[in-house]
Amino acid sequence: MTASAISYKRRTLRINLAYLILIPASLIALLPFTWMILSSFKSLKEIRQIPPTFVPQEFTLENYRTVLNDPDLPLGIFYRNSAIIALANVVQVLFTSSLFGYIFAKFEFKGKKALFWFILSLMMIPHQMTMIPGYLILAKLGLINNLLGLIIPAAIDAFGIFLFRQFALSIPNELLDAARVDGAGEFYIYRSIVLPQLGPALATFGMLTFMFNWNAYLWPLIVLTEKNVRTLPIILTWFSNQQVDKTNLTMAASVLVILPVLFIFLLVQKWIVEGITLSGLKG
Amino acid sequence: MTVSSRNNKLGRTFSGRNAAEKRFLTGTISPLVLYLAFWTIFPLLWGIALAFFDYSPRQTGGFLGFGEGNPFVGLLHFQNMLNFTADAPLEVQQFHIGIKVTFLFAILVVPLNLLITLPLAFLIESVNEGVKGIFRTIFFLPVLAPSVGVAIMWGFIFHPQRGLLNALIGAFSGKLVGIAWLRDSSLTVWGIPVALFAIIVAYLWQDMGYNLVIFIAALQGIPQSIKDAARIDGANWWQLFARIIVPLLMPTILLAAILTLISAFQVFDIVQVMTDGGPDDQTQVLLLNIYRYAFRYQKMGWAAAVSIVMFLLVLSISIVQTRFLRSEWEY
Repeated sequence: MTASAISYKRRTLRINLAYLILIPASLIALLPFTWMILSSFKSLKEIRQIPPTFVPQEFTLENYRTVLNDPDLPLGIFYRNSAIIALANVVQVLFTSSLFGYIFAKFEFKGKKALFWFILSLMMIPHQMTMIPGYLILAKLGLINNLLGLIIPAAIDAFGIFLFRQFALSIPNELLDAARVDGAGEFYIYRSIVLPQLGPALATFGMLTFMFNWNAYLWPLIVLTEKNVRTLPIILTWFSNQQVDKTNLTMAASVLVILPVLFIFLLVQKWIVEGITLSGLKG
Repeated sequence: MTVSSRNNKLGRTFSGRNAAEKRFLTGTISPLVLYLAFWTIFPLLWGIALAFFDYSPRQTGGFLGFGEGNPFVGLLHFQNMLNFTADAPLEVQQFHIGIKVTFLFAILVVPLNLLITLPLAFLIESVNEGVKGIFRTIFFLPVLAPSVGVAIMWGFIFHPQRGLLNALIGAFSGKLVGIAWLRDSSLTVWGIPVALFAIIVAYLWQDMGYNLVIFIAALQGIPQSIKDAARIDGANWWQLFARIIVPLLMPTILLAAILTLISAFQVFDIVQVMTDGGPDDQTQVLLLNIYRYAFRYQKMGWAAAVSIVMFLLVLSISIVQTRFLRSEWEY
């Protein structure tokens, strides 16, 4: 046997060993989702059975029918609330991050350094530091139980500005100056020259922002206390506390709340993964 | 405002552009400064001020509700935090529990996370290109799910009668088991509550995807020639991992460890949904404690003081982080 054949053999062995660990590990990692989905098709009688079954003995769609027809759980409204908050925040955060990232990268003005350092230092301040006064401000402005209470205070994302500044630095000055010579206005230059250059970053950061907003729990829990303005994560815990005994219904509701958007996130996960690795960013 | 020198090269349109640029900067930077003043500086200062008052939104007072029903108490909240006697006020005892549980949680989560994600990233990196993506997706999937959903799923797995875990243990032992993983405060392992372990399992399951993708990206950045050289020298799998890969990834590992630590310190969602701090406050983490005192018991002055302590803890970790980030490694 040649040296390369030995090395090849060893390599295959190594890869097979990897599968030997990865495949069982994957099955364990998928188990909670599987358990949730399978349980959502079980009848109340079967879910109460001791010991529990894994695969439903009797496959029923009744739980989904009950949850979707529950007048106390108008899922459409909660989907709408979550979508309004997440989309509005994506749009405004992408706008402010790209605009100010570009300005910090390409312009000089008095106090620029101080302002940029201030924004950078905001990244160090955990959200709970402004949680209580933030709530009091919203209460004074009458924005408790108002979706705007989750949108207006979220217009600036320090990390977004920092990220887009990095990207905007690589835009050639000649490109911008050429447009200026042609008489283009500054805002026009931002919109039609800078923004397209930032395209991939907009996609990546937009997906991340959407995901964090869509899954957010603590701040919406504080601001949205009336039922009909709540977002999906809050209504899901509310529903599961209502149906302590009917776990089958909770699981059906969980599937309806989690899976559709999880599937969409899955389709765009390339950008989300890119965003996380790009920055070492954490939620 | 001064216009950047690079623009001075183009003399012809200088004055016109100068004015336009000035207008653009004024029109964008001044709203930004005003916004930051109102939505970040003002709440920050308010939050700090609250910690020095016995403030509750139920009481009335003067400016911003300070004074009268919400008297100034100076450093009293912070002095109380140092009261370790048995007759300390309830909120002080709860605060001590919060600090203890949060440290315990974070100190357990970080090494467990790295011990799983590093080898897992290495294994995923070593399989064929085609299936690599499938494995990465499977382990990354929980990151995309809402943590509330994760908590509900795992809460059901740990259910004493209907849960999957007890069913599996029952199937292997041949006996019916009804362990109340999340509710029995008498269950401990090495003095650590079992309910806290249960939360750590759910938390790790969701959180490990972050470090996994960071490590996979870092592994892809290691030149193939280094791995080949190690193989030619006869290094086996473990040697390659422990002697070559881990040292090369050290800067990434340190960064990931600190980011994991910071987010573990701020855990809330999974704990609130799975145990709500129970049983017997065994899983009452600091942020849950702040949330309770501020919004359930309306003791916002006290909760603001606890927030400051928590902020200082997280800040000190962040400062360590920037120190590490400064020393960049090359290979």
